[in-house]
Amino acid sequence: MFGKKKHRGFDEQLDRVGREIVRASAKNETEAESASSAPFLYARVRARIAAERKRREAGENWLSLLTVARRAVPAMALSAVIAFGVFLFGGNTPFEQSFDDDILFAANETGVGRVVFDDTDVLSNDEMLDTIMSGNGEAEASR
Amino acid sequence: MDEMADTPDNFDPTILPSPPSSSSEVPDVEIVARVRAGDEAAFEELFNRHRRRVALIAGRFFRQREQIEDIVQETFTKAYFALDSFSGEQAMSFAAWLSRIAFNTCYDELRRIKRHPESTMSNVSEDESAWLQEQVRDDGAGADVESAIVARDLAGKLLSRLSPEDRMVLVMLDAEGMSVSEIAQQTDWSPSKVKVRAHRARASLRRVLEKFL
Repeated sequence: MFGKKKHRGFDEQLDRVGREIVRASAKNETEAESASSAPFLYARVRARIAAERKRREAGENWLSLLTVARRAVPAMALSAVIAFGVFLFGGNTPFEQSFDDDILFAANETGVGRVVFDDTDVLSNDEMLDTIMSGNGEAEASR
Repeated sequence: MDEMADTPDNFDPTILPSPPSSSSEVPDVEIVARVRAGDEAAFEELFNRHRRRVALIAGRFFRQREQIEDIVQETFTKAYFALDSFSGEQAMSFAAWLSRIAFNTCYDELRRIKRHPESTMSNVSEDESAWLQEQVRDDGAGADVESAIVARDLAGKLLSRLSPEDRMVLVMLDAEGMSVSEIAQQTDWSPSKVKVRAHRARASLRRVLEKFL
């Protein structure tokens, strides 16, 4: 009990010294007076205001750019989604139909092209040689 | 908590009153309206009326003249861009509104300095430590000039060890002699937060003092 009371008394002493210290720290009228009457202080305030105004304008430009971008991004995303949807479901001719093997390999054509592109009737090297040789033989015979 | 209602013994109420205003002087609210309307010269009038007050607030927290000038400049710059938010119809006068900006600017600067502790944390000298012990022992302050200088130097070193919030509330209570409700109005804190903050600030300062005793 006595110890507590003693400790409280010490705390009160410290609080009193603490108040003195805070007041001593705040006693700075001379410097404050000279600072407030400093030459060109208002000119410096005006310069700072001008700099701050410039900074804010630059910030506003960025902000407006960001605002535009913020509005543009969802719009662009939406148009991309719509385009993709149209691509998938909108067309009458499916992808597979538009690239038919018959067209690619010219199945409806006749002649050399048909022979070249038809996988089922590919000529072997021997048959090709026979055809050439017989072609040469027929040509000589006709002479 | 009743300690917070105390008025400091040596508090000089003439230090920080609103600037003297005669009946013929144009009210601040009208000048603010002129600035809003684009009259740049009117802002100089506001500046001349209130710069001393702002400098004295800055002087509570900072000792160097350059720092005080910087706070004055920053406060008026912030006030210029925030003039639209000031309404003369509200309870707060222009002087009180400007003081609030000044306190906030000081608080921001204290926080900035606190982030660079190497610039503020200097050691307490033997003289200062002796002065501190004498203060605790003798139950009274030596009023001589040398003692005042030691006290000022020591005060700066000790208070730099407190958090900006603690320092702010202690200066407002002990140096400005403001009441809890006035501090609440200036800081936008609730009165109960001010009381709690003041209680913690006193405890922090006691701990700092105990280290050097």
